[in-house]
Amino acid sequence: MPGKGKGMNRVIGYIFIVPAVIYMLVLIGYPIIYNWIISFQDVTTTTLGSAVRDFIGFDNYKAVFSDSTFKKSIINTFIYTVGCLIIQFSIGFLMAIFFSKKFRFSQPIRGFIVISWMLPVTVTALVFKFMFAEGNGIVNAILTNLNIIKEPIGWLLKGNTAMLVLIIANSWVGIPFNMLLITNGLNNISNDIYESASIDGANTIQKFFRITVPLLKTTILSVLVLGFVLTFKVFDLVYVMTGGGPVDATEVLSTYSYKTSFQLFQFGQGAAAANILFVCLFIVALIYLRTISKDEVM
Amino acid sequence: MKKVIALLMVLSMGAALLAGCGGTSDGATSQESQSENGETVEIEFWHYMSEDKEGKYVNEAVEEFNNSQDEVHVTAQYLPRDELMKQYTIGVVSGELPDVGMVDNPDHNSYVSMGVFEDITEYYNSWDEANFLEGSLSSCIYEDKIYGVPWGNNCLGLFYNKELLDAAGVEVPTTWSELEAACEKLTTDSVKGLAISAIGNEEGTFQYIPWLLSAGGSLDSLDSDASKESLTYLKGLLDKGYLSQECINWTQADAEKQFASGQAAMMINGPWQFSGIEEDAPDLEYGVAKVPKADDGVYASVLGGENVGICTGANADAAWKFLSWITGEEKSQEMCESIGRFSSRADVDSETVYADDEKNLVFAEILKNAQSRGPSPQWPEISKAVYTAMQEVFTGQKDVDTAMSNAQEKVDALE
Repeated sequence: MPGKGKGMNRVIGYIFIVPAVIYMLVLIGYPIIYNWIISFQDVTTTTLGSAVRDFIGFDNYKAVFSDSTFKKSIINTFIYTVGCLIIQFSIGFLMAIFFSKKFRFSQPIRGFIVISWMLPVTVTALVFKFMFAEGNGIVNAILTNLNIIKEPIGWLLKGNTAMLVLIIANSWVGIPFNMLLITNGLNNISNDIYESASIDGANTIQKFFRITVPLLKTTILSVLVLGFVLTFKVFDLVYVMTGGGPVDATEVLSTYSYKTSFQLFQFGQGAAAANILFVCLFIVALIYLRTISKDEVM
Repeated sequence: MKKVIALLMVLSMGAALLAGCGGTSDGATSQESQSENGETVEIEFWHYMSEDKEGKYVNEAVEEFNNSQDEVHVTAQYLPRDELMKQYTIGVVSGELPDVGMVDNPDHNSYVSMGVFEDITEYYNSWDEANFLEGSLSSCIYEDKIYGVPWGNNCLGLFYNKELLDAAGVEVPTTWSELEAACEKLTTDSVKGLAISAIGNEEGTFQYIPWLLSAGGSLDSLDSDASKESLTYLKGLLDKGYLSQECINWTQADAEKQFASGQAAMMINGPWQFSGIEEDAPDLEYGVAKVPKADDGVYASVLGGENVGICTGANADAAWKFLSWITGEEKSQEMCESIGRFSSRADVDSETVYADDEKNLVFAEILKNAQSRGPSPQWPEISKAVYTAMQEVFTGQKDVDTAMSNAQEKVDALE
């Protein structure tokens, strides 16, 4: 009787996951495999509709790697991601600690802050675009009125400042996310440890570095890796705010792939660029899984 | 019991998923609905005339067509331009294409080579109303076959704010030197002399071509002195502050907003902006003129507009019925006038039609010498080389010589 029950349970178990598996295979698995295939084929306007396309090996990848815009987009994507991570993580961490003190109104204020994470990114992109506009932007207005700058800055007109604005905008969006995850991690550290440390004579800084940080290690790792992956594949924020401009100063891998495929109709090359993005994130994910499993074994 | 219910739910979810995956044959069914025994044929028409402006008139025209006969029934579908272009691309692979589709004239060739549009040379040659301007029709031709019919055209001209010009004591400029001098007098702390769109997409290239052609340059020889002269001139205006630095992020619609709000005394734009200015600044007194020509050059403008074609796998006969009606002698002029475009028909003398309409008359004149872009299936890449060069120079990233040689290299590499 028990044996029969176990077999039946397993079958039922499999049936339960069938919808999810179908969904993953069709909507995620198939496109990824198809993308890999066309990245090795000659797919342009003339061959898009045909059933048979020439296999051209790594030609698409070679073409993509020799494109200066692509190289710029890889650099930009990394600068953007690292910049965002540093800002989001540090400020998110500080805010998590700040709000863990449980003062009055800490809950509603924290809820309020999360709104920036919940706004559609397109809305955020447009709002920041208007705020940082050279002519009538509110940022320039405030800065000139406070005499911090003498002339309005063309934020989205120069490469460096445009990237800065993107990082600021994305940080505004991402800080609550970081904050919430770290708060969760902080809550899992019981106060007893802090109390016993105080009894032993530890000061705040020692408590922070010797207790908080080590116990938060897995949380910090998850936040960083998740943040990296989510930030690395940014599309909507960049596309709406700068379109990759000025010229290609804020072009990132995702916008490059999109433009190559849908504006220049070089579908094979666009697919190659998208795969390179995939590989970068895959490597990061692998490193993460390795690090996690090492910890678990310990 | 709970498990059974849950199991049933899961199975039905799975079934629903699979059912959803199977239903992709919407577009192809129109092929089967041949008109038999007088049954009405349903066809779909995809366009990008925005609902709140030109779209209204398109819908009216479609209704008129549907009411005038009952062999063919047209359902018009509006999609924003970018989205529509993507749908065509997706449609090539999925097979879901409309019966009649609208496309921007420089892009037409690219989509033909993708297999979006059908060869309608036969229909066209046996059509007794087949009489279109050469420049307009050329964008529909690919490898000597016709893949569409011009829907309407427009071009670029100079819009000027009469009040601001009078106040500064400036005459309407006709040459580049006059334009520069005018800008000098018109530019103040809150007003820029001129507004253009130098954005990093097709609109930027569109806006740049009149200047390029006027100086004697061309898209084949971007690194010629004449071509470089045009870009140097515009950069000069930018450096002197007559053009706002933000033009590299402006679309033509943004430029219109600048003009309508009085922040720019003049702008380069097209007749489709008339309704926009009406709405934004109904009291604005403005005039239009030709785009100023290079001091030793000619008046030039660029041809814009849309084409309509029959898509692959469509119900061709029914589609042609609608297509030939809306671009035919009777309807074309009416349609175009309502949406701020000019009929591409050679038998429509726009100058006579608009004899009493000062502003449209100017554009009718400009249209005669407006040059079309391409046609070439690689137009998007040529266009990219052009607007990239313009942006690089405007942002100071490269000087004119380097930018233009780079652009020329890219164009050459396209064979």
